[in-house]
Amino acid sequence: MVKRRDFIKWAGGAGISLTAAGWSLLAAADGKRGTATVAAGVPTGTGIKGRVVVIGGGMAGATAAKYLRYWGGTGVDVTLVERDTSYTSNIMSNLVLNGSRTVTSLQYGYGNLASRYGVKVVKGDVTAIDPVGRAVTLAGGSRLAYDRLVVAPGVDFDLLPGLETAAAQAKAPHAWKTGPQTTALRNMITAMPNGGVFVLSIPPKPYRCPPGPYERACLVADWLKRNRPGSKVIVLDANPGITAEVHSFTDAFDVVHQGVIEYHPGVAIASVDTTTMTVNTNIGNIRGNVLNLIPPHRAGKVIAANGLADAGGKWTSVDVLSYEATVAPGIHVIGDAAATTQPKAGHIANQEAKVCADAILRLLSGRLPDAAPQTNSACYSPITADTASWLTATFAYDPLTKTMQPVAASSGEAAARSKDNFEEMTKWFTALMADSFA
Amino acid sequence: MNNGKIIRGLVLALAAAPAFAQTTAPAPPSGRLLASNCFQCHGTNGSGGFERLAGMSAKEIIGELREMQRKTPPKMMDMHARGYTDAQLQLIANYFASQR
Repeated sequence: MVKRRDFIKWAGGAGISLTAAGWSLLAAADGKRGTATVAAGVPTGTGIKGRVVVIGGGMAGATAAKYLRYWGGTGVDVTLVERDTSYTSNIMSNLVLNGSRTVTSLQYGYGNLASRYGVKVVKGDVTAIDPVGRAVTLAGGSRLAYDRLVVAPGVDFDLLPGLETAAAQAKAPHAWKTGPQTTALRNMITAMPNGGVFVLSIPPKPYRCPPGPYERACLVADWLKRNRPGSKVIVLDANPGITAEVHSFTDAFDVVHQGVIEYHPGVAIASVDTTTMTVNTNIGNIRGNVLNLIPPHRAGKVIAANGLADAGGKWTSVDVLSYEATVAPGIHVIGDAAATTQPKAGHIANQEAKVCADAILRLLSGRLPDAAPQTNSACYSPITADTASWLTATFAYDPLTKTMQPVAASSGEAAARSKDNFEEMTKWFTALMADSFA
Repeated sequence: MNNGKIIRGLVLALAAAPAFAQTTAPAPPSGRLLASNCFQCHGTNGSGGFERLAGMSAKEIIGELREMQRKTPPKMMDMHARGYTDAQLQLIANYFASQR
């Protein structure tokens, strides 16, 4: 390895002009001062340089930070701002509810991003984005200047009427962001009596992980059937019908969990009363021993707080060639917070992040983004404790509508649930998390 | 002047000349972004996961993908393989064949 002093002597002595490759060597030599540390997974001499700040270390943000360095090289200074010390996966979290996984087993730290890719990980909360001065201010006052900003805050939730207080929310947890609510919901399920009622509500589209609520209904029903005989799962769906894997979940509700799952489409929740554990809806008042109510979604707070939301105030419209926000040049929004034709889910958020990272690196090099990006969505859905179905779709850029459109031939679901699918699910999850965090 | 100052000076000089960087960065390898659709299941840069793709011959990759496109009922990868044109399959295969 070239020592800093030696490098300067060599550079000066040879009288070389500083080429772009020289920038990388310089960054390497000056690693300690902070431009960029050379790590094993980061090339030198790509000729690309710039400062990128990434807000949010979920599936989208972590992947973007990794690939900006892995593809962009040591000249690209990447700072990841995240308020938590680790990410807790939402994928697989329904398996906490049937006792086969723990929340701890779903946690992923940021150590690999720092040590392997030289991403600077900053624990903090964003208080302001200055799109003109191109800087992010953190709580505590520190300021991070950027050439390109990536915002990946995931989702936030609206309040259902009657669930305004923390006490009420604790009695009807959504557990749609893995954490203490997930553990609390598991405990509520195990505390159910035989012949109990579990009420699950599904918000209107778009929400995070389209098959997720149906999968949850199946896993809870499967556990109750074996452990709390006579119990029921009542599903109150705001949508006109099952929104994903229609074949698999129709079979699951009508055949596999027949008599246990009661499915109601087109349900509007008027209010929730946690003293009587009742959900007041357009189809009547539904009482349950456990209320698991998933509220309508919107983008994480940082979006609306910084004027990045669309007219509806919920999501950010983007150019899907680069994920640059329509309203804010230089600011890219990826993952669940972006309004696109693609589903809000972790696997495709990972791919959106790669498209975004590639576009940013091209833009930093004075090039245009790839004109024909393709993305894919894939997931496995457990139907019982040891069988699963799957769903996949490929999306290609359509220049006429300027949107990502599903490629029909590659979009579909499993013909039947199977144990093989369940085993493949574990392999898929491990590989996906490694591509995002390791 | 210490080395730190020299380096800071060079950094400033470079930062002041963005056009310089814009003309020197080579284009990203062809097929890389398309092939990255495989990384979620086959590891970053095709290095593992379900099956290692990096270093396989292009002919072998294309042969397998074409076979998958015809399988019924399709498993997940069989269906995913149907999402790419022949030209795209060739780009993906060439990319992995050129990786170690």
